[in-house]
Amino acid sequence: MVRHQALRFETDGRGTYNITKQIQEAITNSGIRSGICQIFMHHTSASLILCENADPDVRADLETFMQHIAPDGDDMFIHKSEGPDDMPAHIRTTLTQSSLSIPVEDGKETLGIWQGVFLWEHRIKKQKRKITVTLVGE
Amino acid sequence: MVFQDILKITRHGKGVYEITDLITDIIKESKIAVGTCQIFSQSSTSSILIGDTVHESTKKGTADFLAHFAPNDESAIDAINEGMKNIPDNLKNIIHRTSLSIPISNSKPGIGVWQGIYLWQQSESKKSRKITVTIMGE
Repeated sequence: MVRHQALRFETDGRGTYNITKQIQEAITNSGIRSGICQIFMHHTSASLILCENADPDVRADLETFMQHIAPDGDDMFIHKSEGPDDMPAHIRTTLTQSSLSIPVEDGKETLGIWQGVFLWEHRIKKQKRKITVTLVGE
Repeated sequence: MVFQDILKITRHGKGVYEITDLITDIIKESKIAVGTCQIFSQSSTSSILIGDTVHESTKKGTADFLAHFAPNDESAIDAINEGMKNIPDNLKNIIHRTSLSIPISNSKPGIGVWQGIYLWQQSESKKSRKITVTIMGE
């Protein structure tokens, strides 16, 4: 059995957003009890990560790390048509995930206790983002 | 239903090659209308990434970033492992990805309007590159 659903998010700009609850809702709506859940981001300047969900400092440090390795407005970059955060946003996307696959057991996403699914907005201004959740199973 | 095919890429040089049309053809051939498609590179120096289809400069920016991150100069090669000249190319591949999963809807890749699927070849190869495409769905 295959079920898919589009999820839409409005971000407030750069940062991480916990979407674990919305993914669980999509799994529950599908009626699939056992299988694989694929989460796909339809953009090249926002991405997905599985990350520790307890201490928000972890995500703040990840943000600092990304700013360190791909700084906004760096002279190295030639693609600046949408501003200094344009090319760094594309690089951050290639270094993280455009799609995640997680197992589904007993109708639930089987994540570790300290794992969460996060949308990572890489652009500074707020954006509309679309994610497709596809479930394959029974 | 599961459908599998192997793509053989006969371009031997370093570079970024769009393979969206080739993947679309395999999905069409599979007759699977809804599901997931896994694209797996059978090489340790070529990766599969989602990228921006509009601005060519985003690929140049990403390539420059990778060259900065893992330079192919003698000092980097010596520091990592003397004699293994393609180590920087392997490194680039590790921080990118060996496989990508995308959703399938209406018998097509269910990806964003500005997204394309790209093969990043980090090194020259005399042999053709193999990419395994596995489609699951109905």
